[in-house]
Amino acid sequence: MKVLSEVRKYFANAFIIAELEMRKIRHDQTQIWVRMVQPALWLAIYGLAMSKLNAMSANIPAGLTYLQFMTPGVLAQSALFVAIFFGINVVWERDLGLLNKLLSTPASRSSIILGKALSAGVRGIFQAIAVIILAVILQVHLILNPLAILGTFVVIVLVSMCFSCVSMAIASLVKTRERMMGFGQVMTMPLFFASSAIYPISIMPSWIRPLAYVNPLTYSVDAMRDMLATGNLHSLPLDFAVIIATTILFLVLASLGLKKMIS
Amino acid sequence: MEEKAIVVQNLVKQYPKVRAVDDVSFSVDKGEIFGLLGPNGAGKTTTIRTLLTLIPPTSGETLIYNVNTAKNSEEVRRMCGYVPQDVSADGDLTAYENVLISAKLYGMPPKERKQRIQEVLNFLELTDREHDMVNTFSGGMMRRLEIAQALVNRPKVLFLDEPSIGLDPNARRIIWGLIKKLRDEFNTTIMMTTHDMGEADVLCDRIGIMNRGKLATLGKPEGLKAAVGGDIITINSNNPNCSLKLKELGYSAITDSADGNFDLIVNNGETLIPHLLEGLKAKGVVVESVSLKKPTLDDVFLKYTGARIEEGDTFAETRRARQSFTRRS
Repeated sequence: MKVLSEVRKYFANAFIIAELEMRKIRHDQTQIWVRMVQPALWLAIYGLAMSKLNAMSANIPAGLTYLQFMTPGVLAQSALFVAIFFGINVVWERDLGLLNKLLSTPASRSSIILGKALSAGVRGIFQAIAVIILAVILQVHLILNPLAILGTFVVIVLVSMCFSCVSMAIASLVKTRERMMGFGQVMTMPLFFASSAIYPISIMPSWIRPLAYVNPLTYSVDAMRDMLATGNLHSLPLDFAVIIATTILFLVLASLGLKKMIS
Repeated sequence: MEEKAIVVQNLVKQYPKVRAVDDVSFSVDKGEIFGLLGPNGAGKTTTIRTLLTLIPPTSGETLIYNVNTAKNSEEVRRMCGYVPQDVSADGDLTAYENVLISAKLYGMPPKERKQRIQEVLNFLELTDREHDMVNTFSGGMMRRLEIAQALVNRPKVLFLDEPSIGLDPNARRIIWGLIKKLRDEFNTTIMMTTHDMGEADVLCDRIGIMNRGKLATLGKPEGLKAAVGGDIITINSNNPNCSLKLKELGYSAITDSADGNFDLIVNNGETLIPHLLEGLKAKGVVVESVSLKKPTLDDVFLKYTGARIEEGDTFAETRRARQSFTRRS
């Protein structure tokens, strides 16, 4: 019973921190709208242009158009690009002494990290909604049953959590906003390119393929592609297992880092 | 022995390059307002962070209501409230929401929550603005809101880091009033840091001055001031023999400046001045003006920390202090 109430308290605290983020978004939606611009450009300009390339169409799974193939990739990308800079917030809060205030409440360290990661997930969902709406406008044929959409949201939240934890773990090492900005820049593109987000792994340079297979982004793109585009759910358990495992790993690392960050 | 609100026992905190706190011991009674003073880098913040369970001590121990902060950190955190120096209320939320989130993080049951939040907003006179966004608040209101956040849990011990920094004199007076009211009505133990000696003098029952990781002195403000030694009487006279005549009367001036100012260190300056003036008049010295200066906490501070108030500042600390100034005003 004691354990159960501790677990309940742990998640309750994490949700309170996510609630804080939700309330902020409710008061000021500008950044939600602004953040929709980038994925929209990827889909509407890059996507439409690339769908004219024969090489691309020839290598994606049979029966899919390029835009069908790419929409899950843009979903994952939009979550990644926001989450990878999340550590900057934490450095900022540390500099302001906000982190000390948060840590002086009874909430445990890792529940605070989990809460922050969930906040990143909340933001990710809004973008995902925008990307899906845009895809519908562009007449991309997606499987849009409630279960597929729900599954997609779960993946989006997990991807956002995973990479925001990566970002927070790095933030605890580099400790300044400027450096964190640099690290974010350095990480986003390799993670994005070494995944199956905008082209199939089979046409990547061969040396980069192993990277794609250890990149959690690949698995999240794959999961969403299975649910939204192909409808073939065979690899879904593996995808989820990989994403959840890496999220937990980085959650632990970021929680350990938090201790370092304030001392 | 009566249980103390805060006990710090042989606290040592060693960082790779510095010994931030070096064998410090003191205790704070329940319902006491205790001021921790000292230059930046003296170890105040490290001491407070240890008490708030944010960092573990290298050796020694700290207790809050007899609970060890390193061993039972969650229990300690539930008893304490903390108001950091910098702006820590969230500007993108309303005042009510800020307090609500704090109440939730302190695990307050939903049934009590609403009433407690209203109580605390009322106590800090924020009720009429509770649904306004915090980024429209003045510095003083924001400070009050931050205190409300720390108080909603009814802490036994409240930690205030520079409670009135960057506030205008009026807002500062309001905050001071609240701190006193808090202690008088709820018997809350308050531990605060400040660089403002006037503030420490007005608010604190006792003061500890830290310097280079050690506790340099500890006592009531009046006692500390008295211990600095004597009042200073400054006499201005054009008589070139003034210094000599003073000596004949049994006083020696510590300064003898060319413009005719003579400083004397004495006890009970107010009662001494009439005798002194009569004595000088009898010796034919015309006194142009007299002034009396009682020692202040500034003098106490300088005595125990030397003139190094600026020296210990790191770049980051200075930047922080100045930022919080600009942000509040």
